[in-house]
Amino acid sequence: MKRNNKAGGRSSKSGLWNTMRQYKYHYLMVLPVIVWYILFSYLPMYGITLSFKTFDFSKGILGSPWVGFQHFREISHDPEFWSAFKNTVIISLSKLVIHFPLPIILAMVMNEFSRTKARKFFQTLFTFPHFISWVVLAGILTNIFSNDGVYIQLMTMLGFDASSPLVSVQGFRPMIYLSHVWKEIGWDSIIYMAALTGINPELYEAAEMDGASRLQRLRYIAWPGIKSTVAILFILTIGNLLSLGSSFEQIFNLYSSPVYSVADTIDTYVYRTTFTVGADFGYMTAVGLIKSAISLVLLVLANMTVKKMGEQGLY
Amino acid sequence: MKKTRKFSMLLMTLAMIATLFAGCGSKDNASEGNTGTAPDGQSSTAASDDDPFKEHLDISVAFWDIDQVAEKWDKDPIFQDLMKKFNITIKPVNVTWDDYVQKFQMWAASGQLPDIFATDAIGTQYYRNWVNQGIVKALPEDMSKYPSLAEYFETPDIKGLSEDGKYYNIPRRMFPTVDWSVLDRVVMYRWDLAQKAGITKEPETWDEFKAMLQAIVDKDPEGKHITGLTSSTTKMIGGFFWLYGNSAATSDGSGSDFKWIKEDGKFVPAVFSSKALPALQNMRDMFEHKLVDPDIALTKPDTAYDKFVSGKSAALLAGGGFLGIDQNIYEKRWKTAYPNADFTQSVKVLKPLTGPDGERYHPVFKTYWSESYFNAKIDDKKLDRILRLYDYILSPEGNDRLTYGVKDVDYKVEGDKKVPIGDVSLNEKYPAKGFLMNLVTYNTSNAYDMNNPTIANKTIRQEAVDYIDWSIKNSKVPDYDIRLTYMSTPTKDKFSVLDHDDLLNMMLSKDPIDKAWENTLNNYKAKGLDKMIDEVNAKAKEQGIE
Repeated sequence: MKRNNKAGGRSSKSGLWNTMRQYKYHYLMVLPVIVWYILFSYLPMYGITLSFKTFDFSKGILGSPWVGFQHFREISHDPEFWSAFKNTVIISLSKLVIHFPLPIILAMVMNEFSRTKARKFFQTLFTFPHFISWVVLAGILTNIFSNDGVYIQLMTMLGFDASSPLVSVQGFRPMIYLSHVWKEIGWDSIIYMAALTGINPELYEAAEMDGASRLQRLRYIAWPGIKSTVAILFILTIGNLLSLGSSFEQIFNLYSSPVYSVADTIDTYVYRTTFTVGADFGYMTAVGLIKSAISLVLLVLANMTVKKMGEQGLY
Repeated sequence: MKKTRKFSMLLMTLAMIATLFAGCGSKDNASEGNTGTAPDGQSSTAASDDDPFKEHLDISVAFWDIDQVAEKWDKDPIFQDLMKKFNITIKPVNVTWDDYVQKFQMWAASGQLPDIFATDAIGTQYYRNWVNQGIVKALPEDMSKYPSLAEYFETPDIKGLSEDGKYYNIPRRMFPTVDWSVLDRVVMYRWDLAQKAGITKEPETWDEFKAMLQAIVDKDPEGKHITGLTSSTTKMIGGFFWLYGNSAATSDGSGSDFKWIKEDGKFVPAVFSSKALPALQNMRDMFEHKLVDPDIALTKPDTAYDKFVSGKSAALLAGGGFLGIDQNIYEKRWKTAYPNADFTQSVKVLKPLTGPDGERYHPVFKTYWSESYFNAKIDDKKLDRILRLYDYILSPEGNDRLTYGVKDVDYKVEGDKKVPIGDVSLNEKYPAKGFLMNLVTYNTSNAYDMNNPTIANKTIRQEAVDYIDWSIKNSKVPDYDIRLTYMSTPTKDKFSVLDHDDLLNMMLSKDPIDKAWENTLNNYKAKGLDKMIDEVNAKAKEQGIE
């Protein structure tokens, strides 16, 4: 038995080695990606130690003196951190609820287009905003929603006393959600469209011959066909949830102090406090670490949930 | 075939890895090109071993939008002459007004600071770190080799900047005294539109100013949906709205220059004094009556200038005094938009208003704005060369060259006056002279002289001279103790007051002003306001500050 195990171990090792030899060019091609991850994702992780240090410009990250959990204790009493944390959670969850299903729906609707030209036209139309940077989009949105802009003029014409959502505590978050949907819905639907394209057309034909309605075809063919893709993307979205909520470029380019109370997220708070006020880099690294730790927990939870629902998880 | 495929795969992979590494290279601005051989034709400056200019030096300089001016260095004979005289080459390192604070902090952390860099750091948390942690180089204690620079440091508030007897920067002086701070925040208003709206008297009190804005906004003489007061940046607004009874609260927007006043026997930051609430109420009233641009929270300099000149805002709050008015409003916009309109009859500059206590106060800032810092990594030889350049620019000869041009070519001396020869714009003829001067000092007050050609339009120049004369005679500097602003205590060193953000919040909040202000105060208290006040009062007592 023991010998068998040993033999098994050896054979699996040599099996891996054989596979690697067989696919050596694939492994060679993946090498730059591995190097990239090591260089830019793993090696810089030593910077996390700064969360437990107070940064000294002359000594660098490694030489700066340790302060233990001092930053974390201070963070727990920092009202601005808690405000940013609350906003990040609210914006993240709202974006998840509002934005996550829409690309799926869009992909399914587009898949129903029988004319390729029309599908391509709408696909281009919806995908285009993704390629405009937030800096440019923020300029466009500022023009639309400023006092001279279309939005206020239109509302005034209709008899409403509107204020710009850019400086309104009530209006800022909805504007963030809507502009995010507008920018990303087309791009995010691409992967679902690819999954839908992968479904065997014979299934649709058979269902049609059996008298299935369009909704039934969506319900019983299209949806099961993309369910596993949805599950994987759901886990990834959850893992990235706090970054999604922070949406640094979007919020940073659109917000101003009157809406900090509803718009300042962890990322914008870290940036603003570090570079405007000049707060200790150690303190702000600790804030970033808290965000990463929460993201990790969310990722694990989402993976567990998806697995329990019978879908394949990430690991 | 197989071999070729193998080889090309290997090559591609190596190329991809090389691309990755290519991004990882670092450039040390300070150490790069520290020394070098003299360019052709410049080695002649090497006279002897005692010649301080013998060795050619490259000096990297980070300055706002330096790339734009660097393109014109070749065309400026004064600049070229100075480079030759000091045997240096200036290597520009560009920073913009939007990113300079961030860039210097990043470069300080990564050891990539240029040899000279310009920023406004005094009083900030990172300034203390730069000094204490050896990021910036101290000036030599013996400044006798640089007489004009040594004299520059004799000005009281610049002298007061030493840290344990050492200076770590060279501030850019603007004015001789804080009486001139009135020019740091000027409000200009459309007098032509005010007259069309039926106003006949130029405003002197807050009520008159508000009535004028109300008339313009209500009557909208040009039918452009005109709004009230706009601002070039949000950082400016405290410099105006606090003047309603709480003028010591005016600050430069850095968060670290808040001033202290004595109230009920205790020093408190003026922003948090009992005088704050009436000023906030006045501001909120103005906003609610549409006397303030509804988009003021989103304002940007060029947008604000355009709004004002195009008649979409009745008044504009901006920095830069009459130099800013001349350049940003008159030269760049008004001249083209209204070639036949008399600028000084159409646009007036608001004199400090009489406040609720019957006094005219103006905002108060420092006599300098921003400083030159020197990377601690540069050697003494390079610092010496830099200081010699600075000393020359501050000397009477250097100052005259960079202000009036070349003697007997651009100006002649008649008695105690320098009279320009010809009508050529000196800024066009010597496009880098302004940069060299501003690298060292602003000396803004020099421009408020009828003999100084900096403000090219003579009518605007006359207005500028009259305005500052009037203001110095008729308006007051609020009472405060600057020693407390620069005092260091554990809580104060980490405490920032971004009052312009608070003012915008107060303006736009839907809550009653007293409730909104109470919330803001509570936020500051949570950040240690009371503790900071106690620390400062205890230290003030120790130091005998009454």
